[in-house]
Amino acid sequence: MMARKLLYSTLAVAPLLLLTASPGLAHEQTGVSGGLANGLLHPLTGLDHLVAMVAVGIWGAQLGGVAIWVLPIVFPLVMAFGAVLGILKIGLPVPELVIALSGLILGLAVALRVRVPFAAAAAIVAVFAIFHGHAHGVELPTAANPLAYGCGFVVATGLLHACGITIGALARWPVGERVIQGVGAAIAALGGYFLVASLGAAA
Amino acid sequence: MSARLRTAALTALVLLAQSQIADAHIVNARLGDFYAGALHPLLTLQDMLVLVALGVLAGSLGAASGRWLVVVFPLGLCAGLGLAVAASIAPVPPVVDAATILLLGLLLAASLRIPVALLCAIAFALGMMRGAANAGELVPQTDRLLYAAGLACAGYVTITLVMAVALTFRRPDTEPVSSWRGIALRAIGGWVAAVGLMMAGLSFAT
Amino acid sequence: MTVARALLSVVLALAGLLLARPAVAHQATIAVLEFREMRAGVYIGRWTTLPKDGANRIDLRMPPHCLLRLPELNCGDKGLVGQMTIANLGEDMSAAIIRVTSLAGETRSYTISAANPVVTVLGTDAPTLDTWIELAKTYVNLGIDHILLGADHLLFVLGLIWIVQGGWRLLKTITAFTIGHSVSLAVTAFGLIGVPEAPLNACIGLSIVFVGVEIVKQQRGEIGLTAKYPWAVAFGFGLVHGIGFASALAGLGLERRILPAALLFFNVGVEIGQILFVTLVLALIWAHRRLGAELPRWGAELPAYAIGSVSMFWFLSRLVRVLAAA
Repeated sequence: MMARKLLYSTLAVAPLLLLTASPGLAHEQTGVSGGLANGLLHPLTGLDHLVAMVAVGIWGAQLGGVAIWVLPIVFPLVMAFGAVLGILKIGLPVPELVIALSGLILGLAVALRVRVPFAAAAAIVAVFAIFHGHAHGVELPTAANPLAYGCGFVVATGLLHACGITIGALARWPVGERVIQGVGAAIAALGGYFLVASLGAAA
Repeated sequence: MSARLRTAALTALVLLAQSQIADAHIVNARLGDFYAGALHPLLTLQDMLVLVALGVLAGSLGAASGRWLVVVFPLGLCAGLGLAVAASIAPVPPVVDAATILLLGLLLAASLRIPVALLCAIAFALGMMRGAANAGELVPQTDRLLYAAGLACAGYVTITLVMAVALTFRRPDTEPVSSWRGIALRAIGGWVAAVGLMMAGLSFAT
Repeated sequence: MTVARALLSVVLALAGLLLARPAVAHQATIAVLEFREMRAGVYIGRWTTLPKDGANRIDLRMPPHCLLRLPELNCGDKGLVGQMTIANLGEDMSAAIIRVTSLAGETRSYTISAANPVVTVLGTDAPTLDTWIELAKTYVNLGIDHILLGADHLLFVLGLIWIVQGGWRLLKTITAFTIGHSVSLAVTAFGLIGVPEAPLNACIGLSIVFVGVEIVKQQRGEIGLTAKYPWAVAFGFGLVHGIGFASALAGLGLERRILPAALLFFNVGVEIGQILFVTLVLALIWAHRRLGAELPRWGAELPAYAIGSVSMFWFLSRLVRVLAAA
């Protein structure tokens, strides 16, 4: 219920965001608005990030219970921790690979409705959160306004989670369950594609 | 909160974020020092982040503790501004700024019951820090009194409105902890804390 | 219920007291610069009203093809067409007027203000869409500035909101105030009536004193004139305040043919500012009620007295100025 309402609001505002953001993109990005637009768009334009974040939301909703509220509160913090590693230029091993892998694994978990203990799920998601945060964090120091960039990307990630949780809420109808599994399969397929692509690039 | 109201709020947020950030000096030349003082914090992301986070925190704690901030926070702003002008102390280093944002976010995310006195102390301290930070805009020609009045008004208006909105939005005490309204407010805390953590990281990077 | 507004008005009254200074200061020091075309494209310019800081401080920029070395301005074959800018208008000078008289003897005035530091000089053709947009931008901004800096007007509106307390009655009252000041603004700007500025300002101060008294009466349970016929009071004082608004336009030396449009846009700007203010006040009243942040019983009458004292102070100081001039 609440998720649906949230989705409506988000959907209503999204076109506006796109409309108003586009002139900003054409210009040189400067100052707060530039940093904010950059930060907001960074998670949205990278398809690998986008699907993984949505998958996290769906999986959290599927697992239910504690997961549904721990996720939106703690995930940003873990991600920020990853971002700090990126800001301090502490390298992580094979980031591209892990991010692609995250899409594949989370997508599969959603499609196959994998039920694991909460602690295990949290550990998996946390590892991926650190890698995703790292990828965003590397770009933060060079942003037009680092603070605005940070705000933008945290907000964008939170909204993607909200989208995921909303999709997860479809589960209360039998048809919705199928839809979710379909979305999960699509995410897994995309993740697989990115994985192959990054392996190809590495080879 | 109705869906329409929420949409309106989101829209306003997006538009606000997109709007061109006006230069405080232009405002100053056009509308004088009162409005320069009022608009400077409103157009500075760092100030707004602290204001909104503090307002949401106080609002989520309920009217009984929140209402004191209506007076305490603007007083803190004035005290900080006055101190910075009189003693010309250097503004706090960025890492302290970041740490306060992190702490504020964690307090909100943890949804602790903070006693009124502690909340007031936090608000006053934050007000002083922000007030001192806003003193950087002062030039010798600026009318200090007008600037301070504008600053205090902006702080008062923002904190009061944000608190009232958060109070209206928050979970009623009768609802369980897992109510989505409570989670949404705590999620905002998580976001704020994440931003604070990243800023702290950035201050070590350089 | 009324106490919910208390804190707000104390703050505003304080702000009003502080704002009294710039409000006095911005009673216009408007500099006037006249250019007369001597032969095609060459003008002789001089200040007929010198800027307060002296002419040297003014950062006047002419279109790039023009060479300005006062008193001469040489624009070559193209003539004086393009953008004129004064970048450093500020606290000491609110606006400057540039009058250009062509060889044919036609005079045009351009107003440059801090709100709108660039004006575009067009050829002798009919006004285009760009001209209208330029005009709208200038005068809407001037209107917004005028109401935002007019603490006396804002305090009066606050008093009205206080007495009427929201709802349909408030909408009607504010509309009556708007109609009142629009009418008198138009009448004054077209020169149908002329009221000297100093006594008028004193009257405006007195109107706020009146509202303050009405609030106190209401708190004591008496039903005052404003509570009974809020729209009539709002309309009546709206007429007075409108003449005040006109003083902002009066010094600008507008061309007669653009006066109606300028007036319209100026009024639109004033309304925008007024709607912003009313919305803000209503939002704050809602917030205070929501938070239960109200003045204790012993302080309930404080705000009304604050409004009354500030406006009485304005009235007396303005009266002194009238008497001193007489």
